[in-house]
Amino acid sequence: MASQAADARARAGWLPGWRRSIGAAGEESWTVPDVRRRLQLVLAGIWLLDGVLQFQAFMFSKGFSQLLGATAAGNPAVIANPINWSAKIIADHPTATNAIFALIQVALGLGIAWRPARKLALGASVVWALAVWWLGEGLGGVLNGAASPVNGAPGAVIIYALLAVLLWPGRQDRAAPFIAGRFTGANVARVLWLVLWGSLAYLALLPATRAPKALGGMVAGMASGEPGWLFSLDDHLGAFLTSNGPAMSVVLAIVLALVAVSVFLPWPAARAGVVLAIAAAAFLWLAEGLGGLLAGGATDPNSGPLLALLALAFWPLASAAWSAAGQPKPAAATQSATSEGA
Amino acid sequence: MGGPSWLAWTFASVVLVVAAYCLTRLLASWRQRRPSDRRVDGIHVLMGVAMAGMLVPRLRVFWTGGWEVVFGIGTLWFAWLAIREFRGRPTAGGRPGHHLQHVLACGAMLYMFLAADTVAKARGSAMSGMAAGAAHLPTLALVLAFALFGYVIWTADRLSSLAPVAALAARVAPAPLFAEASAGGRASFAAAGGAGGHGTPGDDGQTAAAHAQRVPLSPRLAACCEIAMGVTMGYALILML
Repeated sequence: MASQAADARARAGWLPGWRRSIGAAGEESWTVPDVRRRLQLVLAGIWLLDGVLQFQAFMFSKGFSQLLGATAAGNPAVIANPINWSAKIIADHPTATNAIFALIQVALGLGIAWRPARKLALGASVVWALAVWWLGEGLGGVLNGAASPVNGAPGAVIIYALLAVLLWPGRQDRAAPFIAGRFTGANVARVLWLVLWGSLAYLALLPATRAPKALGGMVAGMASGEPGWLFSLDDHLGAFLTSNGPAMSVVLAIVLALVAVSVFLPWPAARAGVVLAIAAAAFLWLAEGLGGLLAGGATDPNSGPLLALLALAFWPLASAAWSAAGQPKPAAATQSATSEGA
Repeated sequence: MGGPSWLAWTFASVVLVVAAYCLTRLLASWRQRRPSDRRVDGIHVLMGVAMAGMLVPRLRVFWTGGWEVVFGIGTLWFAWLAIREFRGRPTAGGRPGHHLQHVLACGAMLYMFLAADTVAKARGSAMSGMAAGAAHLPTLALVLAFALFGYVIWTADRLSSLAPVAALAARVAPAPLFAEASAGGRASFAAAGGAGGHGTPGDDGQTAAAHAQRVPLSPRLAACCEIAMGVTMGYALILML
């Protein structure tokens, strides 16, 4: 209480006279966001970016619906038919449908950021992300054999949904040694992490990635339309992977598998695993050509930033908490965590 | 890569509405002596008009090169204010780092005008709004867009904590005003509409007038203006990729 009062006095002293009432003094109940809230805000920012990207001219053209329709290829009929159906609707009404899509995503971003609406927006983002994963990304290509960690599999948008669940601001937090485990519990969160990174490791070993020149071709293909520095980087990386593709896909799979199991390991190894996950996410994002953002026509920043954000949510907080995971959290600590605006 | 014309008109309308609202804030702040961050309101008026002309060429109102000068000065000015903030000197606007947002916004406007000019010259023809497409240094455009979206999200996070005008009005109690007046603060009453010198604690009309004069203009709507400006500016930057 004393520190709060001192903080309030410090704030009030920031501005003289009537000027106090404009800004600092007008903020009555704002609390500094805790780590989970900060991660939610990053997620909100990515949704906002997605929404604004959706306003690009290409998205209002027939090309966008053709792009969506192409994701049906190779999928079972039960998956492909709804994709074709939605692509036809979008092709018939490209302007209206795309404007709605863009507005929804902007609203999700601003909704997550606006504290009174954050739960509603996070919940809606899960529904929206699942719909887009199916109807817009063809389940990330995991069923048609085209999926590769380098082309964004298992679909960037499914990671939005996963993040929304893991960062959910529950009424009562569970004891967890990382932020992502506060709502679902540490064990459930660890299993979700294992499934995601394990599936990435598995996909790295499929022919779509492991075949000679497949990996190099994918990366070099991303270079088209990029600015000089990124073109050069992806071009060189593509050339290297073309000549060493199969071996590099195995290396990539091993790295991703290590990341997958790291959260089950002791604290120092878990922390190293999360660092490795962030490095892998950065590598994948570069290989993805930063999601094509700089080439124009990107619908989202692709999986790299989302994987990195997810990794931050699994950052081991303290070695003591890591070993004590699963124990009930003291009531005072829980109350403190929830009052921080998370 | 330009957006559909109706979309450009929609975004232009949004920023023009924001500019018009900020102009009314400036006038209300000046006429009624109600607290407001006039510098921010003023720059929003300029940004709204400039961005509308950028999105819809028919709405251009300034000579070639004029906006670059305006936003170049704006960037330096807000940078100076931000430096003062960090040194602990008080400026209107409140939060530490508040003016960094406007440094960024003015810098983004400057970038967009300079990049658009460069593209137009390179193509040897007049630029048609934002339709000239990819600018030089697209990476900078993306970085600026990221930063602007970050500020939009940061502002939206604080939005619900900003006090509504009704709460601010209730907080600005008349008693301290009279205390201030009796301590030599009558100038504020006089300047506020004729109450000075004649104001007495028992005069309800003058009390209400003085009270109203101290109620700040809505900080929530000011934040909404920043959000609208940030999103539109981010859209304009994305179009330049």
